[in-house]
Amino acid sequence: MTSEFILEVKGLKKYFQAGSSGWFSKNGKQVHAVDDIHLQLKHGEVIALVGESGCGKSTLALTLLGLEEATAGQILFNGQDVTHLADKEKKEMRRKIQMVFQDPYESLNPTQTIQEIVVEPLVVHGIGANETERLERTKKALEDSGLKPAETYLNRFPHQLSGGQRQRVVIASALALEPQLLVADEPVSMLDVSIRAEIINLLAELQKTRGISVIFITHDLGTVGFFADRVAVMYLGRIVEIGGMNDVLKNTKHPYSQALLSVIPVPNPRLRRKRIILQGETPNPVNLPSGCRFHPRCPIAEEKCKQQDPHLFNLNATHQAACLLLENYQ
Amino acid sequence: MNVQLTESSPAAPVQRVNYWKIVSRNRVALLGILMIAVAVIVALFAPLIARYDPKSSEGISSSDVYNPPSAKHWLGTDDVGKDIFTNFVYGTRVSLIVGFFASFISIVIGGIIGLMAGFYGGRVENFLMRFTDIMLVIPDLPLIVVIVALTKASLMNIIFVIGIFGWTTTARIVRSQTLAVKSRKFVLRAKAIGAGNWHIVIHHILPLVLPIMVVNAILVVSSAILSESTLAFIGLSDPTAISWGQMLNFAFSRGAMSVGAWWALVVPGFGIVWIVLALTLLGNGLEQILNPRLESHHLMPGRPSFQSEAEAAPVKTGKSTAPVLLDVQNLSVNYVSDGKVAQAVRNVSFQLHEGELIGLVGESGCGKTTLMMALTRLLPAAGEISNGHVIFHGKDLAALTDEELSNLRWSGISVVFQGAMNALNPVRTVGDQIEEAILKHIPHFPPKALSARVEELLDLVGISAEHKNHFPHQYSGGMRQRAIIAMALSCNPQVVIADEPTTALDVMIQAQILELLDELRKKLGLAVLFVTHDLGIVAEMCDSVLVMYGGVTAEYADVDTIYNAPRHPYTQELLKAFPDLTKPERRLTSIPGSPPKLDALPPGCRFAPRCPVAFERCSKEAPALHRLGENHLASCHLVEA
Repeated sequence: MTSEFILEVKGLKKYFQAGSSGWFSKNGKQVHAVDDIHLQLKHGEVIALVGESGCGKSTLALTLLGLEEATAGQILFNGQDVTHLADKEKKEMRRKIQMVFQDPYESLNPTQTIQEIVVEPLVVHGIGANETERLERTKKALEDSGLKPAETYLNRFPHQLSGGQRQRVVIASALALEPQLLVADEPVSMLDVSIRAEIINLLAELQKTRGISVIFITHDLGTVGFFADRVAVMYLGRIVEIGGMNDVLKNTKHPYSQALLSVIPVPNPRLRRKRIILQGETPNPVNLPSGCRFHPRCPIAEEKCKQQDPHLFNLNATHQAACLLLENYQ
Repeated sequence: MNVQLTESSPAAPVQRVNYWKIVSRNRVALLGILMIAVAVIVALFAPLIARYDPKSSEGISSSDVYNPPSAKHWLGTDDVGKDIFTNFVYGTRVSLIVGFFASFISIVIGGIIGLMAGFYGGRVENFLMRFTDIMLVIPDLPLIVVIVALTKASLMNIIFVIGIFGWTTTARIVRSQTLAVKSRKFVLRAKAIGAGNWHIVIHHILPLVLPIMVVNAILVVSSAILSESTLAFIGLSDPTAISWGQMLNFAFSRGAMSVGAWWALVVPGFGIVWIVLALTLLGNGLEQILNPRLESHHLMPGRPSFQSEAEAAPVKTGKSTAPVLLDVQNLSVNYVSDGKVAQAVRNVSFQLHEGELIGLVGESGCGKTTLMMALTRLLPAAGEISNGHVIFHGKDLAALTDEELSNLRWSGISVVFQGAMNALNPVRTVGDQIEEAILKHIPHFPPKALSARVEELLDLVGISAEHKNHFPHQYSGGMRQRAIIAMALSCNPQVVIADEPTTALDVMIQAQILELLDELRKKLGLAVLFVTHDLGIVAEMCDSVLVMYGGVTAEYADVDTIYNAPRHPYTQELLKAFPDLTKPERRLTSIPGSPPKLDALPPGCRFAPRCPVAFERCSKEAPALHRLGENHLASCHLVEA
């Protein structure tokens, strides 16, 4: 039962039917949203998942949570295969993996009070002997999430809270179940810059005190620099580079990661860096380019990149990148 | 623990929404409710209100037939000499009973079918909705007539038959609302928690579908009442229960017209009109309440209303030797609503020079967008420029007539709004829309040159000519934003105001757009006012920075000074909260609290309640804007020389 890794993902694929398939039309095209992902996450580890929209990072998260059914591959949670589970087992698993969504304005039901929102997971899973015990747990979850004193929030509605407070409510409701793995999908991108830090700091604090593992999906690496142990860069459904935070940020190897990192604005006017601006947009994941899927936009692509699809090459013990030009690195 | 409660302190717990209070404010709904209440009271207390027993024929003689209204019979008598007022009062009962019970059946059937179809989707939805379509196509009134005629025309039968034919609209409305609610994020969150389908439908979908079902139910009630009247009018009614339709039927078929007994027709007709009108009013009123967007809000030019405000000498900014294009002097903007005045912008001055790019930064709610809107007088109706001047080529934009101003917009100053790329008309080609923009501002543009001009503009923003005849949905988000920029440049403006032009875009597309803006600025010599909350973009692009807080200038300086030697505590705190990719180890801090509400500003310095270095004076006295260098201004007591 116990495994070195809390989460192991092996060759995970998630394809969607392109267009709607009705009674009369059979559409053979597929969207390769997540295409052959391999990932290992240790207990208590924090990994940041970065990429542009359409790179499959959110689909990956939903598939890991069992909210989307995997097309192929395997997901091991604590060494146990959880890829395809019956409803009852799935419910049990969801206690252990929780998610924080991007938009705190949309992810709370406007007709529920804060108390109803946070107590809901406890009711669904039958946790707590009675109402009083559940209320105590609810209050604790709210206070742990920085909403103190909890009593003043219980009877309020989401629209009466600010964006930061709402995201704390979402975090409280996820924490009420005491999960082992938290998937945070851009939890601060909708918030004002001035309060992003407090939500990140809250997550970092909770991660440390509870020893939970975190998958942090973001497009802004600067925010999670101090918090994440590792970074995985995704492009068109694949991980193109993965490694320790410092390896990826300071010794970036994959040409896509280099471009992506170069265009994230840095608040330092004396450091007007050379930006590598890729032209065009990410290709449609229905018709993937041949060979390396990045080659049509790659500034350094060679002839072989059109034919050969690279796998992740080891750059050092923990740093890997999927680029043919790195094959003979070292 | 670095986690603090940083938002406004919680107020006393608030009770659930007071629906009665909302409804009572809507006059249409209120009138409907009152009219229905009258009908319900009449129905409930029929025996007390009616003057005779409707079933008894005691004391009626042949001379009582079709008597006109009199003291004895307020509304006259009918074909068998019975009191019409009595029949009318008892008829209310039947109409309401049929209306409410038949619609109850319809709503339950339609609600269940709609919820199931919307929630499960796929084959279930296909089957249920095709079934609904078939039911819709069948002309229900003839069918109801046939079924009622074949069975016994009892009250129960009529209710049942009307009920099971009246659910189709409900099913369709409930289904579409369910679909909309189902795709919302909180439903996904409930699934992630582990909630089952039943739980999700009861706790998350039904509460949001219910309001629409209520509105629909009201309309279903009125159509059930009409159906009952129609049936009764053609003779299909329960002979033991008087209804309005039945009264009409008897009057028509038994010669009321030929003897001129109008009262026998008008009275039941009035009843039907009354109740249907009441329900329609209530339905419309509720719809207005539930969908406030039906009330329109337009952007209206904020009319300048100058108040005699002590006018300080406007502060000069910028060290550029280039000529000043846009000179903003002591600009103040108020929002007035419900008699309350909110100071959204207070005494802001700056100069935008030719070719200069000024970044306007601050948190949401600091007055950035208001200031930007005020510059071109595109404020919402509640906003007004209360003081100050916006000088452009010697003219004060704040004092121009609407017509003069609209000539100047686009040709002199153009605006790229936040999210404008989603405001392109979806049914017209992008080329058409750019042509329209040109013609609107230059009506005499030579028609032959128009097409070439559009291609030139698209080329300028990096869109090839072949995309000219494409529709917005064929463009990607980045291309749409480019098209918007092309439109903004269509009349050769000198000043471009860009309000968060890249907020919704991915970083790579953002970089493309920013690079484009920078190129255009150099190529066309544009002056740009760039409104953003991204301090990274400002550092990489801007020449000068204006930091706003609570509607006032917190700090103004060239970009290097702002980032390397900021003097205002707000600027310093803002920089500490902003991530820097090149310093991943740096721990970010947030600014406790939130910007002040503009209608409840703190006394003294507006930043004092959140300021880490505030002292006694800050909460009493508002700081003046101090000059710290040739091109550096800050409003803080601590920088006072």
